[in-house]
Amino acid sequence: MASMAQTSQAGTTSARSVEEQARAWMDDPHAYFGYSTTRLHSVPRAQMEAVQLAAMNLRLAERRGQIAVLAKLADAQDIDRVDTLDAMAPLLLPHDIYKSYPISLLAKQRFDQIAKWLDRLTVHDVTQVDTDGCASIDDWLMRIQAATPLDVATSSGSSGTCSFYPKSKRDYLISMTGLRIDLLQRFGVEPTDADLHEKIHVVSPGYRDGHATSGRGHHYTKQVFCGDDESFLHCAFNFKISSDLMWLAGRLRAAAAAGDASRIDVPPALLARRAEWEAVQKDMPAQQAAFIQQVTAQLKGERVAAMGLTNMFYTVAKKGLADGIIADFAPGSVVMGGGGGKGVALAEDAEAVICQFFGVDRMLSAYGMTEINCHSVLCEHDRYHVPPMVTPYLLDIDSGQPLPRSGVQTGRYAFFDMTHQSAWGGLITGDMATIDWDTPCPCGRTSYGLEKQIGRVSDFLGGEDKISCAATPSAQAEAMDYLTAIEA
Amino acid sequence: MTQRPISYAVIRGQVVESDLVEFGGRGGDITFLAPDPHKIVDRLPLGSPSKMEDLYDLSFEQILDFLEELGAHCDVRKNDLLLEAREMSYATAPTTKPIMDVFFDHLPAMFDRDRVRRMCEFSVGVPYLEGWVPRDINGSRVSIRAYGARSLHVVAGNGPVIGALSILRGAVTRSDTLIKVPSNDPFTTGAIARTMCQFAPDHPITKHVAVAYWRGGDEAFEQKLYQPHNIEKIIAWGGFAGVKHVTKYIQPGLELISLDPKRSASVVGAEALETPEQLEETASRIAVDVATGNQTACVSCRMCYVLCGTDEDGIETLKRLGQLVYEAMLRLPQDISTKPKRYDPGLKTQVDALRLNEDWYTVIGGQEGEGAVIVSHTADRVDFYEYLADRTVNLIPVDTVDEVLAVVDAYTQTIGIFPETLREELRHKMALHGGQRFVQLGYAFNGPGLVGPQDGIEPLRRMCKWIISEEPLPTQRKPLWECAEGEAAMVS
Repeated sequence: MASMAQTSQAGTTSARSVEEQARAWMDDPHAYFGYSTTRLHSVPRAQMEAVQLAAMNLRLAERRGQIAVLAKLADAQDIDRVDTLDAMAPLLLPHDIYKSYPISLLAKQRFDQIAKWLDRLTVHDVTQVDTDGCASIDDWLMRIQAATPLDVATSSGSSGTCSFYPKSKRDYLISMTGLRIDLLQRFGVEPTDADLHEKIHVVSPGYRDGHATSGRGHHYTKQVFCGDDESFLHCAFNFKISSDLMWLAGRLRAAAAAGDASRIDVPPALLARRAEWEAVQKDMPAQQAAFIQQVTAQLKGERVAAMGLTNMFYTVAKKGLADGIIADFAPGSVVMGGGGGKGVALAEDAEAVICQFFGVDRMLSAYGMTEINCHSVLCEHDRYHVPPMVTPYLLDIDSGQPLPRSGVQTGRYAFFDMTHQSAWGGLITGDMATIDWDTPCPCGRTSYGLEKQIGRVSDFLGGEDKISCAATPSAQAEAMDYLTAIEA
Repeated sequence: MTQRPISYAVIRGQVVESDLVEFGGRGGDITFLAPDPHKIVDRLPLGSPSKMEDLYDLSFEQILDFLEELGAHCDVRKNDLLLEAREMSYATAPTTKPIMDVFFDHLPAMFDRDRVRRMCEFSVGVPYLEGWVPRDINGSRVSIRAYGARSLHVVAGNGPVIGALSILRGAVTRSDTLIKVPSNDPFTTGAIARTMCQFAPDHPITKHVAVAYWRGGDEAFEQKLYQPHNIEKIIAWGGFAGVKHVTKYIQPGLELISLDPKRSASVVGAEALETPEQLEETASRIAVDVATGNQTACVSCRMCYVLCGTDEDGIETLKRLGQLVYEAMLRLPQDISTKPKRYDPGLKTQVDALRLNEDWYTVIGGQEGEGAVIVSHTADRVDFYEYLADRTVNLIPVDTVDEVLAVVDAYTQTIGIFPETLREELRHKMALHGGQRFVQLGYAFNGPGLVGPQDGIEPLRRMCKWIISEEPLPTQRKPLWECAEGEAAMVS
């Protein structure tokens, strides 16, 4: 439990200057709040926003000299400091920035060039990592992992792209620590020693490892939830999902959609691994079945945190129920889904089936993405509560300007997460969200809450029945069933 | 103007405005009313193909008479129905008022007698539409005639002319024409059909036109209508999902003529960049192919490959060209191109992301939603090339033409090429890769109109049923019933 120190420093806020508080929230937020979900979500809003503003200016001053892309944006906007939270909006980066390198660099395995591109997005120096003889994405990212504080996260899209997000190991740990706090504790109840320190079994319907956060995250949940005990981590698929294969899959789909699967400029070394990928995929049902057996038999009566994508949980739960198997965990166990409403259609009975299989009353849910450290967990009143280290924004779809921070607003979700240790914490997402800025949540948390319905901006803009003869994105129409599931 | 405009259904000479229900309203769309499709579904199709006989009482010249008259009635200055449709379409159309005005102003010219005759002669041959055309071959006299079919047109809404074109194509092929209008143009086609009801309610062509709106994907409705006993051909324009969706109704007796989603590109050779004057001219040519009609059409150029090379000099040339394209685009007159109605916000975030990436891309313009030129510094198109719209073009440097071939596929419609010698060289290879129309750069919108092939098929010919009638030529074929064993010759 390296990250869960006993010290509690909250409660003495008046004695500290706002800037000192900001520094503490930025560097080690959960320690500041004594690892308590109650304290985390009880900061008065005025104080929260004052600290957020101070943190923004501290980060801006510090990162401007470290992150070239931010410097360029800040120069172009002529912004040195911000006096309001809204004033930060022009310095939030569009999420597309993390895949904005020419894709041919990847096809030609010019990792030295991609490193140059990535270097402009992080405080850490990735250009020093040796790329000689580097033959794959996995290879390159493992070299970065070994030589720097980074653990770069990838995700690939159906149009054949692959994004690289310069997440640091510390970012991952902050992320998982926050999840442990918000998932295992009840708001209004002081955390027990077990909540803070007990080794908890982690059950995931996904891959044990990978470079996408859904796989790589396990390395860090293991540290934060499992006391670094390998035997406490249970994944449906006990292998590392290769980012090269994921990228290749995306490209194959894109090429097939374009009507000519022979025209993929992927290095032969990667094409040769197609058979390997197919073999792995073939073995997956067997692994999944074994996983269900293991989870239900071995973890009977144990405290478990099951975390993963809802539709992958659904597959597992449905299969388990069909085989007459039901999990029977100890009280205090939780099941957290995610990835719904993001272009992935969920079955209507998904939550009911999952709850029945796992024997829980309610499925927890967190809203987050690769590019954020501090996730928002759904409360009993169906709001995703944004931790105080994150400043949420809703932007007008057309103008990109921040909507008023009052009343009920719906817009493109953006945020500034002050805890980012490597990349710039300001991001404009592709999601549509709604916030009721004025009405306090009946759950008692003071933190801002996103309404449960979160959609994609692209779906919102799609209109109902517009027909145009100009080509619109095609690949999405073809099912990317399991691929979509792991990428959400 | 009413708060919620009506998309009238017009069924075979009758205007339907009862049982109105609300449609649209998603994603900032306007809402409009239309007759409940489920209430009219039984009246939309023509019960029996034999009911098309009245169309054969008309001569081709009489069809032209009707279309000429329709054209005269489609003068928006004198036609209140069209005027109203135009006013309402400003809100639904993807383009701006000046461009919509041009579309409407040119409606009468579409029906010009000589123009229609030339189109039919070029694409099908008027004699085949008018009667049996005999030719002798292999000892037989073979007569061929093009008959109309009961056709459903699922039209695209990125230009209001497609409904008019469908009515025109239906009339000259003596087809029964049912048109499903889209939510981004739910008014124009209905207004034309209502005009027909006003000046010639009992004319056979009016009696063979039905226009209605229903939500694409309304399965209960479509399952009922899209049946071989109602419709013989579906002519589907448009988006991938829409066309793909229609395919599930295709079965023996129901044919799909698919005008698939397309995008267009251009290719510029190094010779077109040598002098400042050439650079200027090339930029002007690119600008019109990109920006005409505000880049809403499938014909609109979205990517331009330039054989300037990918070395430093090449990129510098390309940046200069990009600046000139941008300036030329902004100079275009209002009736050709304007600042887009609404710059796609999703596209904007992607363009803005590249703006911060100066090592690999140069973004010219785009701050004010006016359109942008994205200059790639490598031979890569942007990864969101499928979304390029609202006067946004990607200029891509290449060293060899082979790199261009790699991105031509079945979705590639028009390719504008300059100089001409390069077109000679490229069109064969590009056709093999999937390219469908080759034009001189700058003439994507300035050609003969929709005559002949389109998207690699011939829609007007395919709208026809090609019927054959045979007889033996005297003395040239021995009757089979008179053949002794071993004497019969039946060669396929």
